[in-house]
Amino acid sequence: MWKMNTADVKQEIEETLWNYIRDNYLPRNAEAKLGGNENLFDNGILDSAGLIAFVVYLEKKFGMSIPDEDLLPENFSSLESITSYILRKKGSASM
Amino acid sequence: MSQLKKCIVWDLDNTLWDGVYLEGDVTVRPGARQAVEELDRRGILHSIASRGEEKPALDVLRTTGLLDFFLVPRINWEPKPKNILAISAELRLALDSMIFIDDDLFELEQVAYMLPEVMTIEADLAPQLVDHRCLLPDRVTEEARHRRHFYIAEEQRRQAERTYPNREAFLKSCSMNLRLRPMAARDSPRVLELISRTHQLNTVGRVFAQDELLEILSGTGGRWFVTVAELTDRFGSYGTVGTAIVERTDSSWKLYLLAVTCRVLGRGVERAILATLLQEASRNGISHAEALYRDTGKNRTMLALYQMMGFRKCDALHEDGTAVFSLTLDRAPAKPNWIVMS
Repeated sequence: MWKMNTADVKQEIEETLWNYIRDNYLPRNAEAKLGGNENLFDNGILDSAGLIAFVVYLEKKFGMSIPDEDLLPENFSSLESITSYILRKKGSASM
Repeated sequence: MSQLKKCIVWDLDNTLWDGVYLEGDVTVRPGARQAVEELDRRGILHSIASRGEEKPALDVLRTTGLLDFFLVPRINWEPKPKNILAISAELRLALDSMIFIDDDLFELEQVAYMLPEVMTIEADLAPQLVDHRCLLPDRVTEEARHRRHFYIAEEQRRQAERTYPNREAFLKSCSMNLRLRPMAARDSPRVLELISRTHQLNTVGRVFAQDELLEILSGTGGRWFVTVAELTDRFGSYGTVGTAIVERTDSSWKLYLLAVTCRVLGRGVERAILATLLQEASRNGISHAEALYRDTGKNRTMLALYQMMGFRKCDALHEDGTAVFSLTLDRAPAKPNWIVMS
């Protein structure tokens, strides 16, 4: 089986996250942009319920389990922090 | 105890009315009309899942004066379970809070099979709905009487949202105004309703017996403090949307319960309420806050709220499974900037 390199995996995660946010939270026909380090709670995209829905989606999409104790600002505040969180989790799972 | 139902999804032909509207005149069944009107007064919502052409059906509903009672009607050729799922999503109501009523046993069985959480009822029993115990709230609050209108305003909000370039701009345009105030005696029915009706946004930190709660609510609880939150925006008033029960000591505030109606999901209201409480604690020289949370299988949202606001779980777990979260108030968490406090 092919081993995807980290850059490809990272890009795949970023695309998945972006598509989810765009499809669920951004206006259809606007030129929507969102910085990777923008705080998703401060800009009104996620709230606590939105986070849980997102987490359930990510668990299914990436076949991973996200325990309660990981639901922290350092892991889930921005697209960048979520990407690194998933990379870390996937990395530790494959070892 | 049977759970209180929140929404009835109606079939049309030979359920809401006698006859088939695509084939000729129909007559609204008096028992069905009575049920619709009476349950609406109690704050139970109505919707429609029916097979057929939408426009002529809406015309019949309009001429019979029933149209306004029904939220997000789904009249099309899609399978009913799919339509019921769509209604559940649009009204943000759990399937186990919904009833489906139809004269066609196949449809009833299909829904029972596909969506076992939904309660199914045969059309001929419509007149008895008003006596069903899961449609009899202990009390009918002001919020309940206006529940349908709250949902209509919500639909207008969703329409408005589509015209803004991003979500923050939309949220700011709503002019949300949140007011926290100490509970007064007249609030107790609504506070009790929030505590018992709310599942997703409820920390259920402690199960309060009704007597105990009434004692706290009546202001004789001493160190107890109950806050209610009222929300308005440019589309109208939401009424009382949340409540918090706090135990105050000299050194810390302990949040036993925080419940917020799921009608205000997705706009940061629960965060604004919690942040405001914590700011108030901070202003009172309190340096330590605790919050109780009990996992009910439905309220993980509140655990996320606490942790994203900086609370961390302590090791101590109560015997009944309640977890304690704590936060040092060196800097009080910020509320969302699109909500103005008054």
